[in-house]
Amino acid sequence: MAVDPTSNANSSTPPAASAAKPPSVKDPKKSKKDEKKDEDLSEEDLALKEQLELYVERVQDSDPGVQKLALESMRQEIRTATSSMTSVPKPLKFLRPHYGTLKEYFGKMSESVLRKYLADILSVLAMTMSAEGERESLKYRLLGSEGDIGSWGHEYVRNLAGEISPEFSKRQQFEEASIDDLMDLVQQIVAFHMKHNAEPEAVDLLMEVEDLDLLVEHVDSTNYKRTCSYLTSSASYLAGPDDLLALDIAYGIYLKFEDLTNALRTGVALDNLQYIKHIYEISNDLLQKKQFSYILAQHGLVLELDDEMVADDDDRETLQDIINNVKLSEGYLALARDIEVMEPKSPEDIYKVHLIDGRASASASLDSARQNLAATFVNAFVNAGFGQDKLMTVTSESSGGANTGHWLFKNKEHGKASAAASLGMILLWDVDSGLAQIDKYLHSNDNHVVAGALLGVGIVNCNIKNDCDPAFALLIDFTEKEDPTLRIGAIMGLGIAYAGSHKEELKVRLSSILGDSKTPLEVLAFTAITLGLVYVGSCCEEIAQSIIFALMDRSEAELSDPLVRFLPLALGLLYLGKQESVEATSEVSKTFHEKIRNYCDVTLLSLAYAGTGNVLKIQKLLGYCAQHLEKGESHQGPAVLGIGLVAMAEELGLDMAIRSLEHLLQYGEQNIRRAVPLSLGLLCISNPKVNVMDTLSRLSHDSDGEVSMAAIVSLGLIGAGTNNARIAGMLRNLSSYYYKEAGHLFCVRIAQGLVHLGKGLLTLSPYHSDRFLLSPIKLSGLITVLHACLDMKATVLGKYHYMLYFLVLAMQPRMLMTVDENLKPLSVPVRVGQAVDVVGQAGRPKTITGFQTHSTPVLLAAGDRAELATEKYIPLTKVLEGFVIMKENPDYREEN
Amino acid sequence: MPIVSIKWQKKVFSDIEIDTTQPPLVFKCQLYDLTGVPPERQKIMIKGGLLKDDTDWSTIALKEGQKLMMMGTADEIVKAPEKGPVFMEDLPEEEQAVALGHTVGLHNLGNTCYMNSTLQCLHSVPELKSALLKYSTKSNGLDQSSHDLTIATRSLFADLDRSGNPIYPSQFWMLLRQKYPQFGQQQNGVYMQQDAEECWTQLLYTLTESLKPSELRESSTTVKELFGIDLRSRVHCTESGEESIETESVHSLKCHISMDVNHLHEGLKNGLKSELEKTSPLLERSAIFSKHSHINSLPRYLTVQFVRFYWKRESNQKAKILRKVDYPLELDIYDFCSDDLRQKLQGPRKALREQDDSKFGLKPQNKDNTSTEQNTSMVKSEGTTSTHNGESSSVSIPNAEKKAHITGIYDLVSVLTHKGRSTDSGHYVAWVKQESGKWIEYDDQNANYKKEDDITRLSGGGDWHMAYILMYKARVIEM
Repeated sequence: MAVDPTSNANSSTPPAASAAKPPSVKDPKKSKKDEKKDEDLSEEDLALKEQLELYVERVQDSDPGVQKLALESMRQEIRTATSSMTSVPKPLKFLRPHYGTLKEYFGKMSESVLRKYLADILSVLAMTMSAEGERESLKYRLLGSEGDIGSWGHEYVRNLAGEISPEFSKRQQFEEASIDDLMDLVQQIVAFHMKHNAEPEAVDLLMEVEDLDLLVEHVDSTNYKRTCSYLTSSASYLAGPDDLLALDIAYGIYLKFEDLTNALRTGVALDNLQYIKHIYEISNDLLQKKQFSYILAQHGLVLELDDEMVADDDDRETLQDIINNVKLSEGYLALARDIEVMEPKSPEDIYKVHLIDGRASASASLDSARQNLAATFVNAFVNAGFGQDKLMTVTSESSGGANTGHWLFKNKEHGKASAAASLGMILLWDVDSGLAQIDKYLHSNDNHVVAGALLGVGIVNCNIKNDCDPAFALLIDFTEKEDPTLRIGAIMGLGIAYAGSHKEELKVRLSSILGDSKTPLEVLAFTAITLGLVYVGSCCEEIAQSIIFALMDRSEAELSDPLVRFLPLALGLLYLGKQESVEATSEVSKTFHEKIRNYCDVTLLSLAYAGTGNVLKIQKLLGYCAQHLEKGESHQGPAVLGIGLVAMAEELGLDMAIRSLEHLLQYGEQNIRRAVPLSLGLLCISNPKVNVMDTLSRLSHDSDGEVSMAAIVSLGLIGAGTNNARIAGMLRNLSSYYYKEAGHLFCVRIAQGLVHLGKGLLTLSPYHSDRFLLSPIKLSGLITVLHACLDMKATVLGKYHYMLYFLVLAMQPRMLMTVDENLKPLSVPVRVGQAVDVVGQAGRPKTITGFQTHSTPVLLAAGDRAELATEKYIPLTKVLEGFVIMKENPDYREEN
Repeated sequence: MPIVSIKWQKKVFSDIEIDTTQPPLVFKCQLYDLTGVPPERQKIMIKGGLLKDDTDWSTIALKEGQKLMMMGTADEIVKAPEKGPVFMEDLPEEEQAVALGHTVGLHNLGNTCYMNSTLQCLHSVPELKSALLKYSTKSNGLDQSSHDLTIATRSLFADLDRSGNPIYPSQFWMLLRQKYPQFGQQQNGVYMQQDAEECWTQLLYTLTESLKPSELRESSTTVKELFGIDLRSRVHCTESGEESIETESVHSLKCHISMDVNHLHEGLKNGLKSELEKTSPLLERSAIFSKHSHINSLPRYLTVQFVRFYWKRESNQKAKILRKVDYPLELDIYDFCSDDLRQKLQGPRKALREQDDSKFGLKPQNKDNTSTEQNTSMVKSEGTTSTHNGESSSVSIPNAEKKAHITGIYDLVSVLTHKGRSTDSGHYVAWVKQESGKWIEYDDQNANYKKEDDITRLSGGGDWHMAYILMYKARVIEM
């Protein structure tokens, strides 16, 4: 922040210090005071002070020549003396007593060049003198000579910028007032800031005067990155639509400097398909396009490449395969082999009963259906995507005698559905062998097994697109079967397989189920969720209408069913993150039956503003929590979840939300307290913050059963895929504490499975790309499960435990996999460490701290960032996450 | 005739000709040859659905070189086992106790934790249970209230073994008050807290009476045999030099706690020595006699009571000694035994030592494996059903081939603790070792698993639960 040393040569050297003025010339009134002060001044300062006083005298001289000379001398003194930022420069200090005099004289002066000069000086003096809110500095600046603004120093520019924004908003109130003169000044200030490493100030000023477009002409190749990072990260603090505007400008700037990967990310953040397509069109580097495709695949964005975007057929196929995540399973297994965790784990390996003292395994003689179900889920979560386990994929002969039978049949009724579906989880992303293994269950004569197999087909295809559309072909016919179990299995499977795909056929087929008033409520609920997932964030009017009609159609008795909550949720999913677009639907929801009205309203609000960090909406949701409900309404649960949803956008808001939730815990009523753990779980998903862990650990012993169950599940959520030893220990203790409470124990088991999700290779965090991008598909999976957990007894602990499989939507490997130009895995050294926030910092600050050097593939924990530790390769994206293509550095020379 | 490629699992069959004039079934048979998947189990994905056997090829716009995907396996279809597993949730409530791994707790009926914990401790003695089972429902010369109480104990113990949910011991509680009205003492309309030791003693006394072996049923175990300790005391008067031998039978050893007692052993030693004042026939006046007791016979279950409560004269109330007194999980009583008894114990103790040594492989002289096997006799805790001939005080129990001998070594099986500052207040809890070797804390209706460390931590010295009554089980050896 060095001050421009303004070595202006335009003004002539000041006249040699003339003889010291006799004290008699001084204003007799002030002399006494001054004398006292003068004693502290050094010889030099005293000389300067008297000199300046002389200038002030002379400015008021009648001779314009003398005046001019005095003004220029004074100006010179001020300019050369802006030595330090910490104290008021001396000339300014000495001129302070004369500010009034000069101002008065200025008023008397006639329009002339000299008057402008004086205005300049007054403007500078006003920086320290002007009363609060007077904005005299700005006033005199506008009256002044309009010379180079930077010549008066950095502090002056900042001061001016500070005065512009109130002046601007004042003028905005009176429409006729022109702002042209202000904008000229803004131009100058922005140019100055951008040139002097003060991009944040420039951006701030432009945001104040609502003219970010100006920025584009002032950025250059040296500062565009800092500018854009400031823009994009400030976007999460801006209220709509300013946030989108900021991102839009950032996109424009990235495009201008041909930083296409970042432009693409910004385009994805804007959810603007046109931008994304445009980037594909203008890029002519195939390798770069592959990297784009990896980014899109990680986001789960569905994009059909056309020949304008990629001309060559073969190339297009390769790129489309990447977008369709066809190779995800391969990469994930490569990671697993590298880390040597291929060996399947059994639920017992996770429970680690031997570490718990006093736990008798006396009940081993008898199977508990609920415990077996829990083991099914634990097995599915832990071995997710590995293609092998110790329960489901082994044949019954090898698993210990024919009399015990297959694990599948150690589950009861609907438990068998979850068991069959767990196969899909184990073979996650591996469509070819997954479908082959699930096939045999489709021919079972037990409807629960078939339903589970159908769901499994959906799970295998989660986030994977395949040309042949196997999931659709296999499942769609089952959606119209008689048996509700089969229908739910098929419908839910479709929802998981096609989340975010906006698949037209599904809309057609499933809307008719919604419209049929004879559809059983449970089928209705799952159909709505599936449509919500498939059309997540699409604002699709048609589906919204169908859901609304379904809600209006149903009788009051049906509206009391706990499953009804999924209809508003589905409606909300359609508007996930779409902010104002929800308003029309929100209005309609006010006409609903009072049982569901508030629930719907809150759900829509919270989902529409999910991940925006909008403080006003958080306040509104907190407002809902402050009400005292008497009619047994249930909308406070989603409101509490909503706080988490909206606030999860950035770190600061997140911490504030955690504190607000702590208050809710202390003062809130029981129905609010029950949702707080879930909200905490969402805020810190796969990110075990110690303070949250402690809170949840405390709540896991709460006297209210539902609070403690929610806390236990949330412990699993915050530790999901981290193998966090502390949480694992807590859960083990909880398992012995709650060994008699079947419901609690089930939750503990689920949480244990989540903590070891994919043996610690997976994450549930919906954020990626340095926490910049929020994948709506992943988020929608999380929200659905959390809403189900608001009433565990009716869902997860009841017969709809397979809703837990919606979590699969949020699963992704938390890895950095580097590949070479042929997309083959390539091991390179990388430094992995705690990410440091460098937004708005000048220079080239370190981006990570406390790092260790590994060779890829590596796991990245929450808050970790990786950077390349070698010059040999050039990564095609600066954000090292997921799949990153490495290009050989042509300038690299082997060191000897 | 378009040529397509078929993807099946990870394999790709390229260059397959489809005869579009034939129904798709023909095509499927073609694939059957390639993959071995029977046509009815083949699922071929075409745009928008599955290829049905009777689909007309012309309705599907097949492109040259199009990739089709086939799903299906020749694997055996999973069949449900004929007999499904029985789930715990399906069992009737009563049977869930077995699955729980331990018996249930007892509800507190209002300051009845002393009774609950006593019952839980006694319930852990299988021999007592079997003795109760043999008790005839006809009262044989007993007073009615004792008889009723015995019956109530029996049914309560049976309930505990069966139930899956905590029990309300209401009937027992009523009959206990009937028999011993002092437990019915009330204060402000609420039954008062009582001393667990008193409850223990009284209950055992009643059971001793009611389960006394009649001439008819000689083989049944008496309570005395289970818990009774014969003491032989030498009463000596230093003044006159008189000496007499007294014998008495008690149900528990006392551990007197004084300033220099830090361990159960020291306390027991204190408890076996006492001074008393009585009339000396020689001096014809009262004189101080010292009494020194030795154990003459050992029971199957050794009860040790910490004398923690004493009457504090100045404040006119029962006060509690909080001093920490350690106790071992394995107690050797040899030091307190009379010479006769020591003689008898020597053989079994040697056998036990040898056996332990061989178990740890520390016995070098046994070169021959067969001889080891022969010499080694199995130590086992006596089963519930083993019958005993209680002619003399349980030192030897005749068996068909081998006899179980008491070795003077005891293992801790249950602890009754008190928490609080006086007998009439505070809280009693029972800590019982299960047959599985796990410890359970019975805090009224709650039963919790505990570690062995937790049990040794009950030795007092603070405000935590502290041991009040210990029950040790004899380690026996068959030889």
